[in-house]
Parts: sequence; C-alpha cells; structure tokens
Amino acid sequence: MTTEHLIAYSGARVGYGATTIVSDASLAVHAGEVVGLVGPNGAGKSTLLRAVTGDADLLGGTLSLAGVDSGALSALQRARLVGVVPQQVTAAFSVEAREFVTMGRHPHLARFAVPGERDREVVERAMRLTDTLHLAEKPTDELSGGDLQRLALAQALAQEPQLLLLDEPTSHLDLNHRLQVLDLVRELARDEGIGVLAVFHDLDLAARYSDRIAVVASGTVAPAEIPARAITTATVREVFGVRAVVGIDPVTGTVSVTPVLRDGAVALVARGRVLVIGGSGCGSQLMRRLVLAGWDVISGALNAGDADQVLAEALGVDYAHIPPFAPMDPESVGRVVALADSSDAIVVSDVPFGHGNVDNLRIAAERAESGTPVVLLGEIEGRDYAEGAAADLWARARAAGAQSAADVDVVVRLLEAIASP
Amino acid sequence: MSRTRRHVSSVVAFPVLSLGLVGAMVAGVALGAVSVAPGEVLGALGRAVTGTAAGLSDTLIVGVRLPRVVLAALVGAALAGAGALYQALFRNPLADPYILGVSSGAGLGAMIAFVATAGATMLRFGAVPLAAFAGAMLTMLLVVRLASTRGRLDPTSLLLAGVALSYTLAAVTSFLMVVSREQMSAIVYWMMGGFAQASWPYIAMIAPMFVLGAILPLLSTRELNLMLLGDERAGHLGLSVERFKLLMLASASLMTAAAVAVAGLIGFVGLMVPHMVRIVLGPDHRRLLPASLIAGAIVLVLADLVARTIIAPIEIPVGIVTAVLGGPFFIWLLVRGERRR
Repeated sequence: MTTEHLIAYSGARVGYGATTIVSDASLAVHAGEVVGLVGPNGAGKSTLLRAVTGDADLLGGTLSLAGVDSGALSALQRARLVGVVPQQVTAAFSVEAREFVTMGRHPHLARFAVPGERDREVVERAMRLTDTLHLAEKPTDELSGGDLQRLALAQALAQEPQLLLLDEPTSHLDLNHRLQVLDLVRELARDEGIGVLAVFHDLDLAARYSDRIAVVASGTVAPAEIPARAITTATVREVFGVRAVVGIDPVTGTVSVTPVLRDGAVALVARGRVLVIGGSGCGSQLMRRLVLAGWDVISGALNAGDADQVLAEALGVDYAHIPPFAPMDPESVGRVVALADSSDAIVVSDVPFGHGNVDNLRIAAERAESGTPVVLLGEIEGRDYAEGAAADLWARARAAGAQSAADVDVVVRLLEAIASP
Repeated sequence: MSRTRRHVSSVVAFPVLSLGLVGAMVAGVALGAVSVAPGEVLGALGRAVTGTAAGLSDTLIVGVRLPRVVLAALVGAALAGAGALYQALFRNPLADPYILGVSSGAGLGAMIAFVATAGATMLRFGAVPLAAFAGAMLTMLLVVRLASTRGRLDPTSLLLAGVALSYTLAAVTSFLMVVSREQMSAIVYWMMGGFAQASWPYIAMIAPMFVLGAILPLLSTRELNLMLLGDERAGHLGLSVERFKLLMLASASLMTAAAVAVAGLIGFVGLMVPHMVRIVLGPDHRRLLPASLIAGAIVLVLADLVARTIIAPIEIPVGIVTAVLGGPFFIWLLVRGERRR
C-alpha cells in the first residue's frame, strides 16, 4: 500500500500553452507520505500542482495519478481522487459554511441526487477535523480568510480524496491554526494513507511536516530527499541567494533555517581581508556586519558546535577548526598565524579569554606590534580568565597602537577608515 | 437548510411567489379598457375548458387577455432565467441578455427571418424563433470571444463588448428595417417590445423553446452552485467547466430567443429579477433559479398591465416600463459595486 504511486511525474514538462515553466520534472508521491515543494517565487511550484488538476498543461513527459495517465481522467474521476486547497480562498457569496463544505461531495453524488445520510456524515467529520463545526451555520461572506482556508480544506476532505494538493495551505492562518492544519494533514497521511503534495514558503514548516522535500528552482525539480538532505546551507544559498544557519532545532528535532543575510545585500566593494577573533557567539554580529560591508572575513580558532563556528560555516567564513570544548593546540595556533599573515586588519571581539583560547589574543597582540591594524571591541575587564595573561596581551596591543571600539558600529567605521585611508 | 439566517425560507417563498403569479395573472386578465370581475375571469376560464364559452366577455378573456398575460409570463420567466444563468456563468452581477447584446443578436436573427419569410405565415412561425436562437448564440459566443484574453474572461470587457455589439447589431437591424419599407410598421411594433399582438399560436411557438431552455438549468442547479466558486474550483470539484458553460449558454440563449422572437427587445427584466430574488433568497441556485422564473413572470405580467392601463386607451410599449424601473436599478448596482471595491 505504501509503495503505491499516487502521483508520478516522469520527465514531465509543464507550463501554459507554448510557455514552459518547469522542465524535466520527475517526482513521485506515495500513499501515506507528505512531499513538500520549496523554492523561490515563480519557480513553478504551483504550476506543478496545477498540472495535476489539469489547470496547467503537460507539455512533455508523463504524469500519472494512481497509475492512470492524467489526461485520461475525466473531471469527475479526478475530483474523486484529488482534493485541492488553493492558495487564496474566496467566497464572495452568501451560503452557509456547511453548504460550502457539502459542495465537496459533488463528485460522489449521482446526477440528480441530493446529499444523503452518508454525505452528511462525511461533511460533519471533515468539519470536525478542521475545527470548523462551530462555523456551520455562518454565511461564507462573513468569515475571515483563515476560516475560509480551513473550510476549503474541509471541502477538499469531503471529496474523500486519495491525494491532497496544498498550495501554501497556511498562508492566511494564525500560528495556532497553522500548526493545527498541518498536524491534521500529517495525521491524514499517516492514519488514512492519503498522499500529500504541498507547496511551502516557510522552510522550517516544510522540513517539519514533510517526509521528503523537492527543491524547485531554475525551471527544474531536484530529486525529493529527506528534509535534512534537501535543505542545507548550500541549497538555501544557491536557490534563494540567502546565507543561512541551517541546523536541527533542538526542541522539534527538525531542520531549522535561520537566514543570516542576503547575497544581494552584500556591498559590492573590495575592502580587503579581516580576521575576526571570536567565540561563544561573541564574533557573530561582527562577522555578519563585516561580510555585509564587503569585507573578506576570516576567523580565528573556533570550537566545533560553537555559535560562531556555526555562523562561520553559514557565511562561508574560513577559520581554524578545533574540536568541541578543546583548547587551542600548536597546530591550530599555526593555522591562525597563517590566517593572520594573510589579513589586512584584525578585530578582537568581546569574547572572554581563558587558557584555551588566549592564544588567539596573543597572535592579535603580536600582529599589532608588527604593524597590522587591530581593533579591540569593548574592554578586557571582567573577561580575563587566564590569570592576567589576557589583560597583559590587551595592554600590549593597545600600547602598539590598537584602536578601541565601544560597539560593533564603531568597529565597522574604524575598519572602513583603515581600508580607505 | 441551505440558506443563511439573512434569507427567507423556501417554505415561505415559493407559496408566496406562486400566489403572486396567480394573482398577477388574474389581475392582468381582469383589468384593462373593459374591466372584468375576478370571479368572472375564473368563470370564463371554466367555460373555456369545458367548451361552453359564450358571449363577448368570454371572447375578450380567453381570446385576447389570457394569451397576452400567458405570453408576458413566459417572456418574463425566460428573460429572468437567462439573466440568472448569465450572472452565474460569468460571475458578473451586471450580466443580462440585454446588456450582453444577446437580445440584439436574437432580434437581428428574428428580423432577418421575418423579412425573408414575408407572406409565408406558417414558415415564419418556424423560422423566426430558430433564427432568433442562432442570432443569440452567435452573439453570445462572439462577445465571450471578444472579452477573453488568453483564456481569461475580463468582466469589464464582457460588458463593453456586449454593449458595443448591441449597438452594431441595432444599426444593422435599423438598416434592414429601412430597406424593407413595406413591412416597416410591423417591424417597428415588434421591435419596441410588447404583447399587443399576443395570441395562442405565439404561445405555441415559444413555449417549447422556453421549456427546452429552462429544463437543463433547472436540473443543473448543483452545478450552477459550484460555478459560484470560480471556474477553477468548480473544475477541482469535478465539473467539466467548458462543456457545462456551453450547455448553459445555449440554454440561456434559447430562453432569450424565445422572449425576443415574440416580444422584441425588453430590457432589464433579466438584470433586475435575479438580483431581487438573490437579495431575498440568497445565491443558492436550487432556490434562485426557479424563484427567478416565477418572479420574472410576475414582473412582466404587471409591467404589461401598467403599460396598457396607465394612459389608456393609449398603450405604451412594455419595454418603456421595464426601462424606467431598470435604468435606476442598474445605476444603483453599479454604484454599490464601486463602493464595495
């Protein structure tokens, strides 16, 4: 049962008339699974769904629904198989909400039949599942967008479909109803074996509710993979042009995407290379701001799993790698020295220094003495955990002409002055 | 069950409408240059059915007044039914057979047949309604074609195309009228719209067209309701939208042609009646469509009564009465639509 293909695009080319929107799409949705489609606006996610409903044209390749060529299905047969929840639900007319949902029974009703006991039960259940029973007597033109969207889902469920197509089904829902609707969709897939193909804009929601995700971009569809493999720092940057921290949310255990900056927002000036001495997240703001300002940012030694290390990976910042919670060893010191040698300037963040990382500061102080411009963020008081060694190095750097900055803005300004004297 | 709290129940609405129709028809037969008591009307009807009709009064009632009232009822029902269908199919509250140019198309078709069959009365009875239907259907398809860009029907273009085509067709009709002088007065009478020439053969001519045009939509009210959701959603719920639209447009054109073939151009009934019914009963076509048919019949029977009694013995064309009521109503709809936007 779970291996049955409910949708199978194979080398499909879809579009409208002579215009191709997506070419060479191969994707299958099985019974009981939720497949998410993500990608930039206009990439053709909705067009892929619309090919299933016959609203977009299949221009090449094949598309089969439950094993039948989609072109061979009548509108009625298709409606018994596929339920659709559109992006925008409009109901500029006044019928009772229950009547609106009952319209979903149309494909199951004989030509002149009136809805019977079983139809009423199906409608009742669809409304109970979507939490819309309390709206049953309300006229549709007096309901909010969110209520209408849940009613549209109820209407689609009243079709008793094997397959649900959702085009951003939660765009008009508040946080509570968004989770409620998506939880319901997951349950329907699990308990009733419904196959779901859903377009998502929110990558976190896509990852949280999809079994597999296919990225739609540049007119093609990438193979559907589990969320952790489909959504990575690399794909987010390539597809959306956004550098993001992609990690596993410790609470939900699913992939979580934190956008850091848009590639398009990075200043198009070559300012040179700057070494950031960070750690424990103290260097994160600096790295982000300096990348945005156009600097080629590199970083001193960072422990794996450290907040700054995660961000460095997201930004594509080069750094000296040390194991979790380990102190700097001779190898990493040598690596930082090499990085410092290639830098035009050095910024020391307001990270606390202990025996494990004080070598980062030592290298900065030595560079200051040999004439590299150095900017020190904040004061050393209260963050020397290396028994005075950090304070001494701080003083040496200051004595050698290192500038002091009160906050990140000042750092950015001082470095700008250094880059263009 | 299917209505919202704002709307009147079917249990109340349909008995009231039926009584209204009977009342309007009795009044239509009873009132006029010579008034007859309502009881006398029923008596005459009884005698006509039993074949014992006698006297001038019976001739007036059964041979003159009754066919006129029945014809007005049929035409009113046909126009209102067509209007309700156009409004549903185009989801455009301003659509009606007159504004969409379908009436003019039917008029031109009927007119060509009328001129071409001069002197052949029997042929004329068959040719005029058929030509009216052909004219209505062709105009409808042309207007839809003109108003569509890349498969999308623009509501404003629809009305503009309808009005523009309506003028063009009216010009052609006027031209035909001028070149066929000998029949001009008959044509002018017919074009102004009215029931002065009503007779039982006319009713026999259009009743089948009306029934044929009304039956399919009355059996498709559930599908018409799906159309409320928009073409795409209706398709998702299993309706073969293009085929359904064509069938419904043909039905509406048939009803329009039936009306125009006997009564000429009568405006605004198709616009006003479905709207008034919608306000009272709601948008559910299971109620809206049958109620529009009955209400349309009532409205036109009463409008005709006004037309022939208001400045009696002079009879004014019934189209003037409907236009006097319909014009302001159309403007009200337009203004209300603007405010809602």
